[in-house]
Amino acid sequence: MSIDVTVTIGGAAGQGIQTVGDLLALVCHRTGLHLMVINDFESRIRGGHSFMQLRISDEPVYAADDTIHLLVALNRETLAIHAEEICAGGYALIDEQSGGEVDDDADGKAAIAAVGFRRLAEEAGGRIMANTVAAGAALGMLGAPDELVDNVIEDQFREKSQTVRDNNLKAARMGRDAVADIAFDWRLRWPGQSPRGKLVSGAQALALGALAADCRVAFFYPMSPATGIMVGLAGYMDRFPLVVEQAEDEIAAINMVIGASFAGVRAMTATSGGGFSLMVEGIGMAGITETPAVVVNAQRPGPATGLPTRTAQGDLQFVIHAAQDEFPRFVLAPRTLDEGYEIMIRAFSLADRYQVPVIVLVDQYFTDSLGIAGGRWDVPEAVDRFLVSDADMADPAKYRRFEMSESGISPRAVPCAGKARVMVTANEHAEDGHLSEAISDRNGQVEKRAKKMKAMAEEIRPPEVLFPDSGLLLVAWGSTCGVVRETVMRLRRENHDVGAVFFADIWPFPSAAAADALSATKRFVMVEQNGTAQLGRLIRTQTGMEASGAIVRYDGRPMKPGGVVQEAMQYLEITDG
Amino acid sequence: MADVNVYHNDFENKWCPGCGNFGILNAVKKALARQEIPPEKVLIVSGIGQAAKTPHFMNCNFFHGLHGRALPVATGALLANHDLNVLVHMGDGDCYGEGGNHLLAALRRNLDVTLLVHDNRVYGLTKGQASPTSMYGFATSAQPFGSFSDAMNPVSLALSQGAGFIARGYCGEVDHLAGLICAGMAYPGFALIDIMQVCVTYNTVNTYNYYNERIRIIDEKNHPAHDWQAAMNMAIQPEKTIPIGIIHQKDTRPFTRRIPSLSDGPLIARKRDPSVIRSVLDESG
Repeated sequence: MSIDVTVTIGGAAGQGIQTVGDLLALVCHRTGLHLMVINDFESRIRGGHSFMQLRISDEPVYAADDTIHLLVALNRETLAIHAEEICAGGYALIDEQSGGEVDDDADGKAAIAAVGFRRLAEEAGGRIMANTVAAGAALGMLGAPDELVDNVIEDQFREKSQTVRDNNLKAARMGRDAVADIAFDWRLRWPGQSPRGKLVSGAQALALGALAADCRVAFFYPMSPATGIMVGLAGYMDRFPLVVEQAEDEIAAINMVIGASFAGVRAMTATSGGGFSLMVEGIGMAGITETPAVVVNAQRPGPATGLPTRTAQGDLQFVIHAAQDEFPRFVLAPRTLDEGYEIMIRAFSLADRYQVPVIVLVDQYFTDSLGIAGGRWDVPEAVDRFLVSDADMADPAKYRRFEMSESGISPRAVPCAGKARVMVTANEHAEDGHLSEAISDRNGQVEKRAKKMKAMAEEIRPPEVLFPDSGLLLVAWGSTCGVVRETVMRLRRENHDVGAVFFADIWPFPSAAAADALSATKRFVMVEQNGTAQLGRLIRTQTGMEASGAIVRYDGRPMKPGGVVQEAMQYLEITDG
Repeated sequence: MADVNVYHNDFENKWCPGCGNFGILNAVKKALARQEIPPEKVLIVSGIGQAAKTPHFMNCNFFHGLHGRALPVATGALLANHDLNVLVHMGDGDCYGEGGNHLLAALRRNLDVTLLVHDNRVYGLTKGQASPTSMYGFATSAQPFGSFSDAMNPVSLALSQGAGFIARGYCGEVDHLAGLICAGMAYPGFALIDIMQVCVTYNTVNTYNYYNERIRIIDEKNHPAHDWQAAMNMAIQPEKTIPIGIIHQKDTRPFTRRIPSLSDGPLIARKRDPSVIRSVLDESG
């Protein structure tokens, strides 16, 4: 890795951190660099401290880094908060009008350059462009080619007037010129290649996957950090047979999903833990009525309101068990952007094939982070709905929605599509769909639903294993796999005997594959963003194998490789010794 | 007119003898027969309660879901296929209590379904507790000192929210109720029919005698149903007499005609074009 530079843009909410960060990301993407961009913000519209952190590299990167090479401080507070993270040779850019003297003790050893973000913006045509000046200055520090920066700005302001476009071009150049004399140690060598993939957020990857899967209705109640997924879909209503509707509450959202799915189209919702809690009875109804439903839970720390804009993996045990009694379901937790896209296509297909709810478990870190997705992103040519119609029936008048079958899967017809009448109840029922308290119906239907688990388990993909014969395996799931991958690579560069096991498919739990992967090693340690290592508990109950320890974080901030490396070392010393 | 019996289903009915639900069940069948809608083209969505069991006794498609949640299920089904004939059956506790927020949202959306509320002013399925429409002081085993809350007025509530079709029916006037159901189903938009229903087991206040003494069929000539103020006056008049019939009707734009992406036909009938998603993916790099 010849390039590995981190740029942090910080300020108060409402100062336009996103504008600066997006411009930097677009410039890096266009020239063929790799990126990992995290968003860290407080639950407020104005004020406080937020930041966006871009890790830029010429090779794929899987996590944010611990140190900062270039800090763009849109206010004075940002400098005080992040100065300690700036590495040797690093620089901080701050607005010359941000007030207060630079204090060498408080502000660490970083070199600081005061740039007239606001003054130059006014010269360029208006104070509103202070962010463009800041972006220009940051790109100037990094040595970005002028033409590349100009092209990206032209595209960004394509839909604005010529004056706005010209003023922003001017503002960016003024920012660049203001730092032209600074010799920055971490100036990049710009590759000048074509993009390495799509520049997307996790939320976009999920939304695009849903579109590729022919999702036709999406219902949601706004809740961080899931809203971005639905906002991402809503903009496509004019190009697809698609309706995105904001429901009156999460209970309505899940019931609407079930109603639409019952009536014959693919349907989804997305929420976070609190909203998912409200949906729980509906998840159970999808279970007993055997109605396909795709539900994304973008986790944040809880319980209750918790930390609304922060990240967590605390809902794993909850979603596996959510709703009273027992019924089959899938739980899938994508590890990468590419997998986020692909897992949505799988989720809709599995939901239809097995007539079950499918829960896609992501988190704030996954949905709000941007990166380069380099995968192929195949679009299925055709989508199999696994539905039946009158033509498939000997006598449509005798159609029974919950008919017994070897696989446990009954033929699913759509209401009002033919002569067959589709009768469904959330009560326990007979094969024809009428409610029933007969012991034979109750036992028959419970067993019919449970039978599906056998084939469902065969759909589950085994965990990915890195360096299977290592003395120590770090075990992670979902979005945390990225930082563990980085950790393992760093430790192996220092000749440590370490590997990893990464789970995306969580339920039905791949017990045999997990036992296989873990029995190859002496010790395994869980790495999770919750307090009790919930996947570790699942592994123990499903395989009897016990982790030697757990590296956990539940403060709502994403894990970074430095911290995980440090904690992993204590287990390695034992192994290596 | 179709034969009423084609809508019959001989699934065992366990409603109490004399239950007001029988009148409502018969009125629904009559209304469907009058409109000659074949049983396989009818979708009934219901919540939980004795009212919500209605579709089990009929020959039709149905989704009998969760307590309070019939309207969201109906919303989803209608968006998937806006050609469906959707009837929603709920009780007063189901619709006005557990599902109150969904009623408000359905009114705002002007959801194109016909909602039949079997309003017997008591919880039957759970054996006799006060409901949102129980009168203040209504005594039950769970409210031995009487209900401490006032009864809600669903008709004035719907009027206040700009509903385009509001009617009140009575389970003891089956033919009249069938007419209201036909009018509600013909109405393009949300049609609320609040049905005065007798619970012979748990409500000894609002009995057949109570209603028979008070019910007055609205004379269309003397009640300008399009006049909102006249409708509101009727909705809030003291219960010495209870007018039944169409209380308010006006032209509105139904939900599914407000959504541009439904203008090319029901979602379920639309063809998938994988080239569109391919071009969207190309745009993101």
